[in-house]
Amino acid sequence: MNGSDIDLRRLQEIIYRLIVAPTGVANGLAQETILPVGGLDSLVAGDDRMTPVERVEIYANGYFYRILDVLKEDYPATLTVVGADNFHNLATGYLIDYPPTERSIYFAGRNLAAYLATHPLRERFPYLADLARLERSTLESFHATDAKSLDADAMRAIPPAEWPALRMRAHPAMRLVESAWRVDRVLRAVEDDVTWHPPDREPVTIVVWRREARVAYRAAETAEREALRLASVGGGTTFAVICEAIATTAGESDDVASLINRLLARWLSDGLLIPAAD
Amino acid sequence: MDWLEVISENFMVAGGRPLEVVDSVCAHYPLVMHGVSLSIGTTDPLNRTYLRDLRALARRIEPAWISDHLCWTGVGGRNLHDLLPLPHTEETVRHTARRIRDVEDFLGRRILIENVSSYMTYAHSRLTEWEFLAAVAEEADCGILLDINNIFVNAFNHRFDARRYIDAIPVERVVQFHLAGHADHGTYLLDTHDHPVRPEVWELYEYAVRRLGAVSTLIEWDDHIPEFAVLAATAAEAREREARALAANRDAARVIGSFPQAHLK
Repeated sequence: MNGSDIDLRRLQEIIYRLIVAPTGVANGLAQETILPVGGLDSLVAGDDRMTPVERVEIYANGYFYRILDVLKEDYPATLTVVGADNFHNLATGYLIDYPPTERSIYFAGRNLAAYLATHPLRERFPYLADLARLERSTLESFHATDAKSLDADAMRAIPPAEWPALRMRAHPAMRLVESAWRVDRVLRAVEDDVTWHPPDREPVTIVVWRREARVAYRAAETAEREALRLASVGGGTTFAVICEAIATTAGESDDVASLINRLLARWLSDGLLIPAAD
Repeated sequence: MDWLEVISENFMVAGGRPLEVVDSVCAHYPLVMHGVSLSIGTTDPLNRTYLRDLRALARRIEPAWISDHLCWTGVGGRNLHDLLPLPHTEETVRHTARRIRDVEDFLGRRILIENVSSYMTYAHSRLTEWEFLAAVAEEADCGILLDINNIFVNAFNHRFDARRYIDAIPVERVVQFHLAGHADHGTYLLDTHDHPVRPEVWELYEYAVRRLGAVSTLIEWDDHIPEFAVLAATAAEAREREARALAANRDAARVIGSFPQAHLK
């Protein structure tokens, strides 16, 4: 096969492989087994200024640094924790395992937490995958579907007798991130541009939500964890079940009724819940 | 500002601030949608999910027109998030034009295709870049978004005469111009959208206006975005240069005819 005989499909497949070759276009070229006679020169025109390899390298560099920039922007705390050099290397490995498949570059970094879960860096930073998951959740929350939240006025308009059977579920922008580490404190420190410290090993459920187009997050109280989980599953649950979950996990010294009132007021204020169909 | 262009993919999301912002902007300004991921030249099938999302966004913000690039962005279900050039061959003209028509059928409207900046050409190309662009637009019966900076960049990178390119573009198909800054890497120019428009590109713009007429012009500035005053001054310079070029060639001062969209200034 000559370069002039190549069909568009095969040409695009070859160029794609050369651009994503992790150790550079020249190495990628050495591994190509179906190049036409004449090699890359028969496909890409070179001149006295640049060889065909150098020309494809412009695209290869553009590809890597474009995605690296997106990852840095999407995962500022992960970047801060591991440092620029480690981050550069993990981006290289990440792109091998998870090359972008979606049309929007927004999705390019969506699998970073899964990648980090088995990465050697976890020996040094065992909380890294959880931190990345939290960062991704804030992004997902930012872009999640809009929905009108239940607020205090809406609840007051419902006769109290109907409250127990009232179905509610988590707002589409709410996420719960379970972690064995207080990664929320690491993200907060990075966002506040203050010195971060390795997080305490302490199981935490982090609530991520969006209010007025802004994303917020906090560690859930023990008494609200199960209730928020129930609201997040499938079509949600009833207010009675949520109250029961709070009562079950409340401490012995807690006044359950005032605890439910306080948590409900906070959820309504933060817009964590929406009405759910029966 | 007279009108604005949005990158379609940035707003093809479920909800949140991006859509809130675009809703608010389109209530006050005419918008056009400019995509970067249609990948019209790939040999993968057209992505129907992408097209549905694109159509939904168009129904939401009612843009004056929709454009994307004459390029491919990935293959085999993988995306490079870059605008790769196509071989300039008859085969590619037919392949691309057929897909543009399919996209137009799906969207229920004609689209514009834009010439991309490029850093490589293919050894088996048989047409010049301008012949290729014109042939695709003619065969697909679509509009052209002519990027003046991309022509300048490619003229240097591939050693051709930029004015000859502009001379060969079918006048009646040009609906929009792009202007932007680029970076000089010595052996090649890189289209970066993060610099002021270079004087040579302004001169080429005036040449294009003299030849192609009053065409809606957008300054692309995606990174290292300066103060608003600088952007406004750049837009004002585009207006002044357009007026000067039109005064030099009154025959060119007309709104492009074959497309229903109005001239957006």
